[in-house]
Amino acid sequence: MTSPDPPAPGPLRRPLFGAGTTHAVRVALLGVGLTVGAAGFTTYEYYHSPYWDRVGVAPAQPVPFSHRHHAGELRLDCRFCHPTVETAAEAGMPSTQTCLTCHSQLFRGEPMLQPVMASAADNVPLAWSRVNTLPDHVHFDHSIHVAKGIACASCHGDVADMPLMRKARALTMRECLACHRDPGPHQVAAAEVFRPSGPGLLTSSATSGEGSGRGNEAVPRPLTNCSTCHH
Amino acid sequence: MAPPSSILGTSPGTARLSDEFPPGAPHWLPDLDRREFLRLMGASLALAGLSSCRRPAEKIVARVVPPDRAFASGTAWYATAMPWEGFARGVLAKSWQGRPIKLEGNPDHPESRGATDAETQAAILSLYDPERSTGPRRGGQAASWERFEQEWTARRPEFAARRGAGLAVLTEPTTSPTLRRELHALLAAWPEARWFQHTPLARHDRDGWQADFDFAAADLVLTLGADCFHRHPAALRQAGDFFSRRRRDATRRSRLYALEPTPSLTGAAADYRAPVAPGRFPLVLNALAAALGGRAPSAELTEPERALVRDCAARLAGGGTKGICIAGPEIPEEQQRWVDAFNARYARGAARRLAAVRSDGDAQSGGGLGELVAALDRGGISTLWILGANPAYTAPGDLDFSGALRRAEFTVHVGGHADETAARCGWHLPEAHFLETWSDLRAYSGAATILQPLVEPLHGGRSPVEIAHLLRTGERRGARELVRETWSRGVEDASFEARWHEWLDRGVVEEAPAEAAPAAAAASGLPLLVEGTAAAEIAVLFRPDPNLADGRWATNAWLQELPRPFTSLVWENAALVSPATAAKFSLRNGDIIRCEAGGRAVEAPVWSLPGQADGCVTLPLGGGRTAAGPVGSGRGFSAYPLRAVREPWERVVSLRPTGGHRDLVTTQGHFTMDGRDLARTVPEENPSLPPAERTEAVALFPTWPRDRYAWALSIDLDACFGCSACVVACQAENNIPVVGRDQVARGREMHWIRVDRYFSGDAANPRVLHQPVPCMHCEQAPCEVVCPVGATVHSSEGLNDMIYNRCVGTRYCSNNCPYKVRRFNFLDYRAPAESGVYLQANPAVTIRERGVMEKCTYCVQRIDAGRIAAEKENRRVRDGEILTACQQACPAGAIVFGDLNDPASRVARRRRDPMSYALLAELNTRPRTTYLAKILPASPLAAQDGSRPDPQSRADG
Repeated sequence: MTSPDPPAPGPLRRPLFGAGTTHAVRVALLGVGLTVGAAGFTTYEYYHSPYWDRVGVAPAQPVPFSHRHHAGELRLDCRFCHPTVETAAEAGMPSTQTCLTCHSQLFRGEPMLQPVMASAADNVPLAWSRVNTLPDHVHFDHSIHVAKGIACASCHGDVADMPLMRKARALTMRECLACHRDPGPHQVAAAEVFRPSGPGLLTSSATSGEGSGRGNEAVPRPLTNCSTCHH
Repeated sequence: MAPPSSILGTSPGTARLSDEFPPGAPHWLPDLDRREFLRLMGASLALAGLSSCRRPAEKIVARVVPPDRAFASGTAWYATAMPWEGFARGVLAKSWQGRPIKLEGNPDHPESRGATDAETQAAILSLYDPERSTGPRRGGQAASWERFEQEWTARRPEFAARRGAGLAVLTEPTTSPTLRRELHALLAAWPEARWFQHTPLARHDRDGWQADFDFAAADLVLTLGADCFHRHPAALRQAGDFFSRRRRDATRRSRLYALEPTPSLTGAAADYRAPVAPGRFPLVLNALAAALGGRAPSAELTEPERALVRDCAARLAGGGTKGICIAGPEIPEEQQRWVDAFNARYARGAARRLAAVRSDGDAQSGGGLGELVAALDRGGISTLWILGANPAYTAPGDLDFSGALRRAEFTVHVGGHADETAARCGWHLPEAHFLETWSDLRAYSGAATILQPLVEPLHGGRSPVEIAHLLRTGERRGARELVRETWSRGVEDASFEARWHEWLDRGVVEEAPAEAAPAAAAASGLPLLVEGTAAAEIAVLFRPDPNLADGRWATNAWLQELPRPFTSLVWENAALVSPATAAKFSLRNGDIIRCEAGGRAVEAPVWSLPGQADGCVTLPLGGGRTAAGPVGSGRGFSAYPLRAVREPWERVVSLRPTGGHRDLVTTQGHFTMDGRDLARTVPEENPSLPPAERTEAVALFPTWPRDRYAWALSIDLDACFGCSACVVACQAENNIPVVGRDQVARGREMHWIRVDRYFSGDAANPRVLHQPVPCMHCEQAPCEVVCPVGATVHSSEGLNDMIYNRCVGTRYCSNNCPYKVRRFNFLDYRAPAESGVYLQANPAVTIRERGVMEKCTYCVQRIDAGRIAAEKENRRVRDGEILTACQQACPAGAIVFGDLNDPASRVARRRRDPMSYALLAELNTRPRTTYLAKILPASPLAAQDGSRPDPQSRADG
C-alpha cells in the first residue's frame, strides 16, 4: 500500500489556515454583518416604536383623574380646566381651587380625593406626571392651533375614552410635519375644536410617506420653516 | 486724501492674519493626553447610551389658587423705573410666570420714550447675581434682621435724648420723594443728626437748578466735554430728540459741534469735533466769541478747532438759528458762566432751567464725603449709617475714609452687595433690588415714577425707604405703605386709589409739571475767558467708565464683557492716551505707566486712542474692585487713589513708563477699514450713493421667492452713535452667554450683534464710524450651502434659520460667512445647572450647548409671536408690530425691522433710499440687512480758500 508521504513536520509544511478557514471566515463575517445590521435595525425600531414614544402609556398620577368621566360623561369643556389654551402657548393645568369648584361639595370624603384636599389645606401644589411632552428645543403654541381649527383630539386623542390620561400619539416631528405640510384636511369648524373626540383626527397613513428629511425643500412653506417651531 | 498716519494705517490684526495658528488657537487641556481623552470619550459614550434608554419623567406643578387674569398667559408687564445715578429711567419690566426676564423702555415715560441704554438692559442680570448679599451680617458673620432691630432699638433712646447728636447718615444723592421725606423727618426730629451725600460721579445741578435742553428744537448743539447722549440722566430723551432731526424726513438737519479732551460717543456723532485739552478751552471759546463778533479767530488754533469755530460761527451768524451749548460736569465755573451767556443769547427757547431734582443741593444736606470724614476725625460721630454708597472704594485718595470710619463705634452699611464698605462696617444689611420692592424716583425732567416690585426679595433684602424708616422710628413698616403715604399726603380716599392705580399702570405720576425758567436773560456778550499758558505737563482726566460707571456695575458680567466704545476693551479698563503722547513716551498698547501726584500713584496699562487730546491721560473709574466677587474683583485698575477732593476730574501728574506690560483684550484689533468701503459715508451736498452700486448684480442661483412676508432690517449709520444698548438687549433677549476674558482673547465672544468701530482720516482727530453688524440674512447665503447636515437653512420669509439640534459643529458655515457674524460654543458656556441666572433666561429661546453654532435670528421668537397674534385675528402683521430686541432698545431709532412685501413699511421705504447699501455687496449675497450711509457735513461754511476736500475721500482712510 502506497500512500503519499506524510507532510514533513515543521512550520513551513503546516498551513497557516486550515481547509475550513475560508468557510469559517465567511460565516463569521456574515455573522458580524448580521449582528451589526440587527443591532442597527433594533435600535432604529426601538427609537421609532410606540414603546420609546410611550404611546398608550398612562403614567401614575397623584389622583386617578378620569377624563372619560369628566370630559366624556359629564361633558365638561376642555377650557374649564385648561384655561389658557386659547390665549397662551401652554394650555394650563387646573389649579387645586378649580377641582374644588365641584369637589368642595361632591365626594369630599373619598380617599381618592385626599391629595386634592391636602393640597388645598396645606397650600402645596399637586405635581402631575406629564403625559404629552415635546423636546425643549421645540416651541409649541396651543393658542394658534386651536384658533386655526385644529381639534384637541387631533393630538391628544379621544380623551373621552381615557379613564386615565394616556399618550395618544407619538408627537414626533414626522407627525407635526405631516400636518404642517398640508393642514387643510385636519382643520375643523370652530365649534368642533373642543369636542373630546370626533373628526380631524390624524390617521396613521397621514404620517407615512414623506420622512422628516432635512427640511431643505426647494421652497419651504411658512409652516415647514424650521424657525416655525425651533428658535 | 489725507495720508493715513502710522497708527491708523497698520492694523495689529494684519500681522495675525498671516499666522495660520495664532497664539491661543489650540485649546487643549494640558493634563489630558490622547489616550486618556479617548478613554474618557469611550466611557462617556457608553454612559450616554445607557442614560438615553428611557426619557426622564417630568412633572407638571399646577397652582393651588388660579392666577390673576393678567398672568393667565404667563407673561405680564409692569411699569416701573430703574435708578440711574439716583434718577429714574422709566422701564417696562417683563415677568414670565412670576420671574422678571427683560426690561424695555416705557414709551409713556417722558425721559425713556421706549428706549433703553446698556445699563438698563443689563440691570436684569444683577437681580439674579449669585454674588448678591444674602442676609444681614454682623462683623462679617451671618446675623438676622431681628437681632439688628434689637440692637438699634436699644441705641435709639440715646439719640432721642441727645437730639440726634453723634448720628450721621451717608446716602448717594437721590431723587426719591419718600426717601427724602424720611430723612427730612429724621432731621426734624433729631436736629443734631447729620445727613451727608456722596457720589464719585458728576453732579448735574448748579446753585439749585439744572440745565435742560430741547434737542428737537435746537438747530445747533455745541458740547464742551459733555457726553449728553450716553452719560447723562436725560441721555435717552436727548439722543432721541437730536437724532429725530437727522431722520430722512426731518426738515432741517441739526448741527453738532464737540470740543472734548477725550473721545465720547456724543463727540463721535458730531459734525465737527476737535480734541481740546482742558487748558485750551478758554482759548477756543474766546476764538469762537471773536468769530461770532465778526473778528478773525485767533491764529493759534489747530486745524480742527479752526474748522469747528468757523462753521459754528457762520451758522449762528445767520440769525434765527437756535443754538445750545452744553457743558460737561467737570467744566470750571468760569466757563460754565460762558455757557450760560451763550445759551441766553442763542438758545431762543431751546434751553431752560429746572429746579434741581436730585438731593445733592438739598438745603438740609450736611455736605459730601469730605465733610463726613472731617466730622468723623473730630470724633463727633459715634453712629454712621451708609445707605447705598460704597465710599471705601470710591473715596478720593486724599481722604482716608476707611481710617476715619474706625472712629465710629456703630456702623451700618446697606447695599445690594457685601462690598468694600460692608467689610469695614460693623453691620451689613442687604438692600432689595429695584425689581423687588416699592420705592419712587424722579427723572431728570422731574417726572416721578412709582417703583413696583415684580418678585418678593430673593434674598430677604429691604427697600432703602424701609430702612430709612427703621433708622428714624425703630419700627418696621412696609415700603408700599411708606410710598403711598408720600403720594396720598395722608388722604387715602377712593380718588387717590384710582390715581394710584393709574400711576402704576402708566409708570408716570400725574402731577403739575416741575417749575421751569427760561435760560437767564442775556446780560451782555460772551465773557472773555482768561487764557492759560500752554501747559507742558501731563494731566490725567478722571471719567466714569463707559460700562461700569463708578464701579457699581462691576459685578455685572454682561457689562464687563461688553466692548467699550472706541477701544473695544473687555473685562478691564486702560489709561487712554493720544497716539502722539504714546509715541512721545514710546508706549505700545498694554505698556504699564505710573501716574504720580501728591504722593500717591496709580499704575495702569495704556491704550493709544486716536482722537484723545495730546498731553491728557484718561483714567476710567470703576476698575480694580477688590470685593466684587469673581466677576468684578481685580478687573483693571482703580483710579480713585489718584483723585483728590478738590481735583475730582483733572489732575497734573508726573508720568513714566514702568517697563511692565499687560496684554489687553479687545474685540476689534484693527482701526481702519483697510481700503474697503464697509461703513459708508455720503457728502451732505449730494446724499446718495452712485446709482450703479444700487442695482443688484446678476446671480447664478435663482432668486429667493417671496412668501407672505419678506423680513428685512435696515440700520441707519447716520443715527447710530455706538451706545451698545442693542448688544446687551440682544444678550438679554436671546440667552447669550458670557465667555470670560480668556475666551474673548481667543476671539470667542458670543454677541449676536456687534458694533464695529472704524477710524478714518487724521489719527489726531479721526472721524469715527460705528457700524452695528448683526446677521445679514443673505438671500444667497454662503453659510447654507456648506452645511453638511442642513442645520442652517433658508425660511420662506427670508430668514437664515439656525437649527441648534441639527448642528454638529463643523463650523464650515462660520468659515464661509463673509460677515463673521456666526458664533460658536467652543466650550460649554452655560451657567452651572443650579445657578440663579437661569431664572433670567427667555423661555422662548433655546439655550445652546457646547459644539453648537448660533447667530442673530432677527428675534425669530418675536416674529413668531407677532405672526401668531396676527393670525388669530386673521390679518397680516402690521408694520411696526414686531420689534427686534435691538430695535426696541435703540435710543436713536437707528434700527428698523419690517416686511419688504409691504411697500409702505418703514424698512421698504428705507431700502428705496438712495443712501441704502448692502455690506460687501460685491459678493452678491443679497443681504436682507442693509445700511443707510452716514452723512458727512459739508466743508466748513466760512472756508473761502477753495480747498474744499472731497468728503467721500475723507471717509475711507
